[in-house]
Amino acid sequence: MNPFEKIFNHQILSRLEDAGTFMVTAHERGWLKTMLRHPAALEALEAETLARLETILEQDQPLDTQELLLHKAASKEKQVYHALLRPLRRAIMNKNFVRLSYGLKNGRGFNEQTAFPYKLEYSMVKREWYLLWYHMRYRTLMSTKLHKITEVHEEPCSEESYEQLQATVLSLLEKRKLSVDILVERQYNAELSRILYAFSCFEKEVRYTEESDEYTIRLSFLNNESEYVLSKTRFLGKRVRLINGDYMRGRMLESATKALARYGE
Amino acid sequence: MAKESFDKEIQFLRMLVLTSGAYSRQQFADRLGISVHTFDKTIKRLKEVVSSVHRQLPSEQGKEFAETIRFHYLDSSDPMLLFLFRAKSLKESESGRLSLLLAALDGQPLTAMELLDACCCSMPASLPLPDEKTIRADLKYLEQVGVIKKENGPRPYRYRLRLDLVQELTREELQDVYDFVDIMANTQLPSVQGYLLRDGLKKHMIRNQDGQPLIEPFLYKYHYYSRILDEAHLFMLLGAIRNRRTVSFLYFSPKKGTSYASKNTNPLFERDTEGKLETILPLKVVYDHQYGRWYLLGHHQRYGIMKYRLEGLTQVEEGETVPEELFSENRELLDLRLRHSWLIDTGRAVTVRIRFFNPGPGIANFVKERVLLQGQWGSVTDEEDGDSFLYEIVVNGTVEIKPWIRSFGSSCEVLEPLKLRQEMIEEWKEIKTYYESF
Repeated sequence: MNPFEKIFNHQILSRLEDAGTFMVTAHERGWLKTMLRHPAALEALEAETLARLETILEQDQPLDTQELLLHKAASKEKQVYHALLRPLRRAIMNKNFVRLSYGLKNGRGFNEQTAFPYKLEYSMVKREWYLLWYHMRYRTLMSTKLHKITEVHEEPCSEESYEQLQATVLSLLEKRKLSVDILVERQYNAELSRILYAFSCFEKEVRYTEESDEYTIRLSFLNNESEYVLSKTRFLGKRVRLINGDYMRGRMLESATKALARYGE
Repeated sequence: MAKESFDKEIQFLRMLVLTSGAYSRQQFADRLGISVHTFDKTIKRLKEVVSSVHRQLPSEQGKEFAETIRFHYLDSSDPMLLFLFRAKSLKESESGRLSLLLAALDGQPLTAMELLDACCCSMPASLPLPDEKTIRADLKYLEQVGVIKKENGPRPYRYRLRLDLVQELTREELQDVYDFVDIMANTQLPSVQGYLLRDGLKKHMIRNQDGQPLIEPFLYKYHYYSRILDEAHLFMLLGAIRNRRTVSFLYFSPKKGTSYASKNTNPLFERDTEGKLETILPLKVVYDHQYGRWYLLGHHQRYGIMKYRLEGLTQVEEGETVPEELFSENRELLDLRLRHSWLIDTGRAVTVRIRFFNPGPGIANFVKERVLLQGQWGSVTDEEDGDSFLYEIVVNGTVEIKPWIRSFGSSCEVLEPLKLRQEMIEEWKEIKTYYESF
């Protein structure tokens, strides 16, 4: 199976788009057939749909990669699909509100809060789904684990409010953006590829200064992500150094001091 | 036509994505081991592909290429790098013909002769008219890749498009399938075929709602999105493993400066390559979730088990078949040696014991949650005082697990082995000096 088949060529694709023709190859169907064996398929698709897909894909060969492909250092796959994805996804698609009931980590619960849902987010690290929403009463951005949500009811939202709320969400997100500059210690330049891979899951910009042969990575992230950025920085150890941001530099100093105290140093 | 390799494009895109705008043209070209002229040619070609794939995007004119493919989290639903897999070169006449054939078959089954007529009628005047033999060869190809099907019945055979996937599902069901494909392509491996399918379904759904843009509800946080570049080699390697065949390639260690050597036929432009020509029996492909990197593990006739980063592989070619015994013997050995690898270390196993500290009463125990989630096969035992728990794991060497331990900061203390404990102390001391002066 070659992912560079000529049938995937961009000119063919764009001509088919002009003609309004749908095309699907045995490669893609084989992939789908393989994925349907995953337990998530039973949750994501109705039994009837699954049965229909089985007939449609009857003659296709699944990709047999299981034996040959090994996963390492993966987080346990707690959750791939969640039953609330369907109603929430539809509310987002219909540009509507939802009334949410949910619990918090400390056991407190909230009932029937009016929420403007804007994205469903899966954390590749925690392997869990979150609903990202705007709290209408508190006028603040929220992130709630789907498994903490007990009830969802879709409610209509006017076209006008929708446009307005979308803009509000974007501007709040923009306000919450932080950035930090990370210097790659020059003696570790040979490990640049590893370091850049580790940060490739962030929005970033890299600067290279030829005279000093130094690389600086400017990461952009939301303020609730600082902890994860710090954990990545500790992960890379001596290879990188935060060169601005008093709060985060202070946290790094605190980590190092406290860690040494654990060892009686 | 020589077999088209995408080594140059892959290396090019990887560097562009990782270093996002750090280098000037000259610096970039130097690091790839290509000339500035080749740099310009490659970027022009990639731009062409991108603009034909993403024409619904706002005008890209004047926008820098690096900016075009830069990662923006909120817009990350469509994987930008997928266009690499659309880059296969095709003659204008062939791409024109294949798309005309498919468009003609949309809605009605036709015979080869009817298709020849249809093709000749609609072929642009600038392109040569096809003959029957060419059309038959095209149909054979389309049948082989599973896009069309020969209908049962008397000769002459009729061909039809295989549209069951979109025709036999209701709109509601198709939406569910689309979501499922999106989720699986993003969270599972391999993903390229899933992304291609997602793309096709998406266009179909947009057509069905009168061109209204689709609202993309899903985002995947902390995703290593450049990983799909390495899937370019994946299927060839998996095929070689399945067929017990050796592979040869020119290897560029990612630690070295240059990552690609042009395979020039003009001797004037030949340059010394820094790469190393390797031939191995491939045994396993490993995906490292910690960094989002791929590895090829195999048996080298002289050196035994060898490990390569997929990003360093170029000019990969299949070689001869080996006897099954040789393959299974080495495969078993590798499986055994990998049993305790945090990533791919096949060195001596050691027991690592770590005390983790709970965050304190009333705070959710995110430390334990994370250890249980990411601690692979290690065991967790609560300690009596309730303030901490012990984590114990038998692992090959300590180099690969060390960054993970360090990421917990002061929430843990290495107890064993003593050497690792000492190393942690030294590293924290040094890191402390980075931040003391502010």
